[in-house]
Amino acid sequence: MTLDILTQIIASGLTLGAMYAVSTVGLSLVWGSLGMLNLAHGGLMAFGGYSAYYAMGALGLPLPAGLLAAILMGGLLGALTYHGAVRFMLRQKAFETNVVIATVGLAFVLENAVLKLFGAQAQRQPLQVEGAIQVGNVVVPLQNILILATALLLMLLVALLLKKSRIGRAVRATAMNREAAQLMGVRVGQIYALVLMLAGALAAVSGVMISSLTGLSPGMGADPMLKAFIICVVAGLGNVYGAVSAALALGLIEALAQFVLGVRFGFATLLLIVIVVLIWRPNGLFGRQQVTRL
Amino acid sequence: MSGGLEMANLSAGYLGRDVLHELSLSVPAEGLTAIIGPNGHGKTTLLRAISGLVPRCSGAITLDGRPLQGLRPDARVAAGVVHVPQGDMVFAEMTVLDNLLMGAYLPAAARSAKERLEEVFALLPKLAERRGQIASTLSGGERRMLGIGRGLMADGRVILLDEPSLGLAPIVIEQIYALIAQLKNSGRTLLVVEENAARVVELAEAIHLLDDGRFVWSGAGAELMARPEILETYFGG
Amino acid sequence: MSWRGHLIVGLLSLAIAVALPFVFNINYLVTQVTLAFIYGTVVTQWNLVYGVAGIFSLAQMALFAVGAYAAAMLGFYFGWSLWIAMPVAALITVVVSVLIGLACLRLRGPYVALLTLAIAQVLYLVIVNDTDCYTTEGSGCLPFFGGVRGLTRFGELGFREWLGEDWRLGNYFVALALLALALIFSAVIMRGPLGLAFRALRDNPGLARSRGISRFKYQIWVFALSAFFTGLAGAFYAANYESIGPTVFSFSLLLFLIAMMTVGGIGTLWGPLLGAILLMGTDEVLRDYQEWRDIGLGLLLVFFVILLPQGLVGLINWRRERVD
Repeated sequence: MTLDILTQIIASGLTLGAMYAVSTVGLSLVWGSLGMLNLAHGGLMAFGGYSAYYAMGALGLPLPAGLLAAILMGGLLGALTYHGAVRFMLRQKAFETNVVIATVGLAFVLENAVLKLFGAQAQRQPLQVEGAIQVGNVVVPLQNILILATALLLMLLVALLLKKSRIGRAVRATAMNREAAQLMGVRVGQIYALVLMLAGALAAVSGVMISSLTGLSPGMGADPMLKAFIICVVAGLGNVYGAVSAALALGLIEALAQFVLGVRFGFATLLLIVIVVLIWRPNGLFGRQQVTRL
Repeated sequence: MSGGLEMANLSAGYLGRDVLHELSLSVPAEGLTAIIGPNGHGKTTLLRAISGLVPRCSGAITLDGRPLQGLRPDARVAAGVVHVPQGDMVFAEMTVLDNLLMGAYLPAAARSAKERLEEVFALLPKLAERRGQIASTLSGGERRMLGIGRGLMADGRVILLDEPSLGLAPIVIEQIYALIAQLKNSGRTLLVVEENAARVVELAEAIHLLDDGRFVWSGAGAELMARPEILETYFGG
Repeated sequence: MSWRGHLIVGLLSLAIAVALPFVFNINYLVTQVTLAFIYGTVVTQWNLVYGVAGIFSLAQMALFAVGAYAAAMLGFYFGWSLWIAMPVAALITVVVSVLIGLACLRLRGPYVALLTLAIAQVLYLVIVNDTDCYTTEGSGCLPFFGGVRGLTRFGELGFREWLGEDWRLGNYFVALALLALALIFSAVIMRGPLGLAFRALRDNPGLARSRGISRFKYQIWVFALSAFFTGLAGAFYAANYESIGPTVFSFSLLLFLIAMMTVGGIGTLWGPLLGAILLMGTDEVLRDYQEWRDIGLGLLLVFFVILLPQGLVGLINWRRERVD
């Protein structure tokens, strides 16, 4: 019996963690390379979810096309974020905080655009697979396995891109030292746009995943975004690899907390954990102390 | 062939204040040109103006007759300007190999990165040994060599070196200057900025003394040695 | 601007504000301007934290809510008169704010935003998710914090008895007094040692530290001081509407108030107030296009942050400097 419960918790915890990882990596990349806290991330998730919904529901396209629609929409919105707002602000003295305000504005635009386009009522995400498999006495839906597999594949692709490709190296170099990267011939604006597009696409995919379990609504991104922030903070903002492990850990903790404490206070518990972590280690669990030079 | 790096009436600086005042300088297409002068008088700003990192800049800069002014930093790298910045601006959390590959970032350089990497490793065998090591774990001298090696990967027309001996132990400075001499002898164009004139003077064909954003003296290395009063005035002996 | 300049602008605005309800005695107008005064109070204090001290806290609406809930609960559970409950609620808000300030002490820019957002969210979730009945008197099951429906029937300010038909004017003038005090308070702080210390810390942190200006000490002070009027504004908000619910935590309201500061001019004395009045006015004008309101607000915010990060007051100052 207890083993079954444990299997259940691990299965749902890993699914949660995988979804969180996909959205968190984007957020973390954006922070790491631009020093930008993107509060429009939740709006991107919602747009991704609804793009798949529209492509499969209204246009009747098959499942891969639904996912592709979300990826394209996320990338497009990321590019718009850069070319419509961020690039004009890079030289501002208070960039770090001004850009947060700008993304708060964007978040509002996105959420209300979804509201206008699709209405306020909750919808079912048509991007679903039916069926389940049996693990011991526990039934694990195929949908969860699909989510886990997609998430792992995406993480692998992102890791390969960052580690092995020329452009990925430039992304890392820009994050470490923007000026030195420029001296290597890196066009920083291009890298920023690329990072925002990548983050947008990842957010959109995670939006599809999340909505396939919880359904679609214009404000659906708010909670997962807050969770992604929590994970980023626990891992230390900008620490991409830490973010993946923290995402899986928090997914498991959340599944456990829901089982032990009930659904109502699971999230509040998570938030309390963040508050404690931030007070205890101001740069995140894996973050390093920032040295301020005078 | 004439050419090289030419500057005419170059003024540059930051936020409403010029640090350089209408400089003119010509760096011949071959050999080593040195700019010396006390700290805080515009040496670094001059190099940053050439590579396009200074927000405020007027006047003309050409490389082999091609105008550079108005180009973004990346376009200047593509045009052949390689700037090895002051201090250890290596990518601290990347491996030595990744740092070197970043040096060959632009498509033209990336295509011949493999051969260039072999050249750099032959020139700097230490880097070959440590290719898998994270840059921040290198010693100060090794980091400086990595910075120069990374610059060589770009296969540029002219290499700008900003204070290559800054903050290093005397024995490491010897190694760095041995490397600079090697680079010079292999026919590369170098523009070296130093506060500490002693080492660079021996290698330089031409020396320019920069004080308060203006050139106050120009000549050959031997001439400078013969004018101790200049060294006395600007460097206190 | 000189002291005299500020005084003239202040007295002129005050005269207009006092005359307004007598010239146009329209209930709706009076109610909305009262609300604008409340929001104006909140943003002038938020501006002390963000604009003057440079701490990007998003907990300010949560503090407003703390003040509102504290006043309502003191009235509801203990039957206190709101006139006593309001200042007590403001003091409770100060305590909560100091705790938040302590938690934020070692954090840098965006981490502060995240932590304060998380704290606000915890408070919201506790209020909304607690569905156990604390009392079943009156209208049936009521959670301790009132749950999703919020709290009502915790007393009123007594203006109906005193002013009859014109009771709204009572609230209007209380709000005006609140705003005026908050504004004077923030002017004193900006010009006083706290404002100077933060300017020093911002312009030259090294020098400031070597002169013994401790960021920690001043940061706690700014959290404490700015919380008083924020909490008082929240308490008065509850008293004004005679109800309070979790909607005060809404992202939309947070955005609205950030927009006020940004549009008016972050870090300036009059900017946040100007922004509050302008945005409340714009909101009214766009009432017929309600569905576009939020998108418009979002775009406006992006527009200002890109083109006029110093806000309208910043623009005026900049032009004056150019003329000088």
